[in-house]
Amino acid sequence: MSAAAQAAALSRRSVVGILRQPAVVFPSLFFPLFFTALNSSAFSRATNLPQFPAADSFLDFLLPATILQGVIFGATTAGVEMATDVQNGFFDRLVASPVARTSIIVGRLAGAAVLGAIQALVFVLVLMPFGASVKGGPAGVLVLVVVAMLLGTGIGGFGVAMGLRTGSAEAVQGSFPLLFVLMFTSSAFFPRQLMSGWYQDVATVNPISWMVEALRAIVLEDFSFADAARAVAVAAGLGVITVSLSLRMLRNRLRQAS
Amino acid sequence: MTAPAATPVPTRRTDPVQVAMLLAGRNLVGMRRLPATFVPALIMPVFFVISFSGQYDGITRIPGFETDNILSWYTPMATLMGASFGGLGTAFSTARDLETGFFDRLLLSPAPRLALVAGSIVAGVFRAVLTFVIVLGVGLVGGAEVPGGLLGIGSLLLAVIGVSATATMWGLGLVYRIKTMNAGPLVQVGIFLALFLSTAQAPLEVIVGWLHTVASVNPTSQVLDLARQGFLGEVAWSTTWPGLLAIAGFLAVTGLFALRGMRRLTP
Repeated sequence: MSAAAQAAALSRRSVVGILRQPAVVFPSLFFPLFFTALNSSAFSRATNLPQFPAADSFLDFLLPATILQGVIFGATTAGVEMATDVQNGFFDRLVASPVARTSIIVGRLAGAAVLGAIQALVFVLVLMPFGASVKGGPAGVLVLVVVAMLLGTGIGGFGVAMGLRTGSAEAVQGSFPLLFVLMFTSSAFFPRQLMSGWYQDVATVNPISWMVEALRAIVLEDFSFADAARAVAVAAGLGVITVSLSLRMLRNRLRQAS
Repeated sequence: MTAPAATPVPTRRTDPVQVAMLLAGRNLVGMRRLPATFVPALIMPVFFVISFSGQYDGITRIPGFETDNILSWYTPMATLMGASFGGLGTAFSTARDLETGFFDRLLLSPAPRLALVAGSIVAGVFRAVLTFVIVLGVGLVGGAEVPGGLLGIGSLLLAVIGVSATATMWGLGLVYRIKTMNAGPLVQVGIFLALFLSTAQAPLEVIVGWLHTVASVNPTSQVLDLARQGFLGEVAWSTTWPGLLAIAGFLAVTGLFALRGMRRLTP
């Protein structure tokens, strides 16, 4: 079996494993939609503030943040599943087989990427009847889906690295607040122009702000290659860093095992 | 040779208050020995004070917002959130006792059932008060103002005690029925819904749409008004009594829920 076929088989296992667990999929769809409904009702009048970006509604403004939130909720599963594989011995059986080592990582991350794509599509489709729209059209929606996939890979990569490092599902779940901090110190939920002090400075240098603001421009204004490239670059950059980290953790674990 | 006659063990009436205090003490010792069960519940409200205040600083510019100091708005809310986490933590400890079988031994003892519930409530309130001190400290250092003075702090403390007791009893009611840590997500969802479907984020005058309707009938909004009044102005009886009434209602409903759950557990 070629390395690609092995990766495909492990990817299928990961995707099916996630989709067969409603307890994983449901919260990652429900909670972001719930908080979006909540915030768009609570802060709707903020769109009239002078420094607020031109938006038809707060729902439009929040769409990229909803996707980000959902992907963070969902992609952590990749790390939890990886740690579970280590805990229940499946990882050892994989390592004992002649499977290509990188396909172990690829397989896990495929599940996170597919879940990210599904989430992005579901969020757009569910919010549209409530008035949300993507001014960037189908190309804009495609960018949202691609970025969600890359982000799923990036966040999943972090979870997989944690799972391999600790071999504990609880430890991976415990790392979730770190991602939460990254999200909350960005401009995901409110415009940077309306923040003040050190918080605004942190949001300005937070790469999540760069990504969300690029996606927001596509949702609120129109499709532009520059915005698409910026959003894709940040998500892909995060992916490169975390996947490299997870490969390194895999090497360390294999070294410990041998 | 005949066995000596068994000497009857002198029995004395079990003091429910003593039992409740001992159980609360045990819970608090567990908190010290397993900080991982308490520290996140402390960090989260502190993080919410900082992140919500930083993130939503601009909302105070919306016409109708009751203050221009975002920390004065969010500190009481985060404190109440911390109070509910304190209750949750105590309910989770009970779930652990149920899973390990310790609670079965408690049920076989002559300890009054009410004292078992009361012990958890005391522990929950203690955790909540500890969180209250720290979150309030962070808020005040950050710049929150309390024009209502000590009465304002007192109103917040009253709300904190009420919310933590409510959250504990809600958590206990579910834990007594589900008997495992799997009750956790349900407990959390209930508390999140009660807290966020209210004026937690913005004043009623600013909220629009469905949330306005829900928040205006959700008694949590009255509890938040009670908690916030000293941070937004002077303490007034007209704001205090609806908050106290809402807390009394919550305590009655969740108390009944917890006691009925305890009755189901009793062999």
